[in-house]
Amino acid sequence: MKGVSATPSYVVMQPTTLCNLDCAYCYLPFRKDDKRMPVAVSAAVAEAVAPWSRTQRFSIVWHGGEPLAAGRDHLAALFAPFGPAVEHHIQTNATLIDDAWCDFFQAHDVRVSVSVDGPEHRNGERVTRGHRPAYDRIARGIRVLRRRDIPFSALCVVGRPEPGLATELYDYFLDLGCEVLGINVEEQEGVNERTNRHPAADVTAFWSELVAAWRRDPRIHLREIEWSLRYAAAVLDGNADAVLPRRLDPIPTVAHDGSVVLLSPELAGFHDPRYGDFTSGNVLTTPLAQILAGAAGTPWIAEFLEGVEACRRTCPYFGFCGGAHAANRYFEHGRFDVTETDHCRNSKIRLLEGVLDHARDHEPTAV
Amino acid sequence: MPEITSPPQSDGVQPDRVADDPVTARVRDAGSGLTALLAEAEAARHQRAESAQEEAQDGGTAVCAWNHFENIPTFYNWNNRPR
Repeated sequence: MKGVSATPSYVVMQPTTLCNLDCAYCYLPFRKDDKRMPVAVSAAVAEAVAPWSRTQRFSIVWHGGEPLAAGRDHLAALFAPFGPAVEHHIQTNATLIDDAWCDFFQAHDVRVSVSVDGPEHRNGERVTRGHRPAYDRIARGIRVLRRRDIPFSALCVVGRPEPGLATELYDYFLDLGCEVLGINVEEQEGVNERTNRHPAADVTAFWSELVAAWRRDPRIHLREIEWSLRYAAAVLDGNADAVLPRRLDPIPTVAHDGSVVLLSPELAGFHDPRYGDFTSGNVLTTPLAQILAGAAGTPWIAEFLEGVEACRRTCPYFGFCGGAHAANRYFEHGRFDVTETDHCRNSKIRLLEGVLDHARDHEPTAV
Repeated sequence: MPEITSPPQSDGVQPDRVADDPVTARVRDAGSGLTALLAEAEAARHQRAESAQEEAQDGGTAVCAWNHFENIPTFYNWNNRPR
């Protein structure tokens, strides 16, 4: 893996900056403001991605803010310029989901992912703008999805790994009925300045316990476990070098105003005296393909690529991870050419170690 | 076993992994348990009907397959994934 690909596999779009919730760990700035994406922005992106969607599976991921806060009519107008080969995904807090939204999802073949942190008492960070618990609203929206037989994925934020939590969470998501689950250990990034440093043993034990819980009933496609096993299988097969892609996916994030931030959506909306606003261009004035072709010319990206090479040289987990994420480098260390982050430790290194601990401790019994 | 904290020096060739890295050794050490776990994961994947062919035919699931990293572009990708 070397450098940034000129062709993404998906684009993140921000239909509005607004979120109707005010979660304590959220990294997004401007989430109290309703800055909506003009249709001209989505039209420009649609024109750019059309050729890519003809040659590969291609997605638009509608993120936010809360994308449903843009309203059905506006979201439909933003969808309209895209051709039928483009998949639409929505990451939502689920609080606004009702039958009308389900009709919308089905009409546009939208793949839905909800954000929920486990059972009610684990959702204390997820609150309304009035700082009231949001769980009832989240659960209500998910119940509507289930009643309508709309499959969904889930993303769960873990603030503090502790014994028993992994089992509790996995059992919850089994009961919730999601098909796919991603576990995000809370990160120090964006406007969330809370530390994400945890005792190593606690984090490793969390992942190890999660493997055990999943193994008892592996109905859910669990992102972290599947990827760890994929890497382990490749190592055992002697082809671990083939696991990482040849080039990094640029993952363009197109903000409400058409500005483009590459590699880490968490950088959108921020400014640094040294790096400027982290943008690489604006789709209203420059074709997205042209922005991507010049990605390495964005100063922070050039520095980030040096950081990736430093990870390759110094970290034995590189073949598993591919290098620390740009936003984690910046928000934890203030620059991009550093290497290991707390996010690396929590969500890459200790993840793999936890999976391997489980495997080591559960060898088949000889007969 | 504690996590690995002292990686070897690079030989300057820059493969995707550090040559003979301790993570590879650690994986191989857990090989017996991993092999059993991988077999169970494979069976679970079949139970979930996560094959690229079925995915292409019905297009109806929320996401995912063993090879979802290459084929299913979403937040559920691994590298650089947004949160």
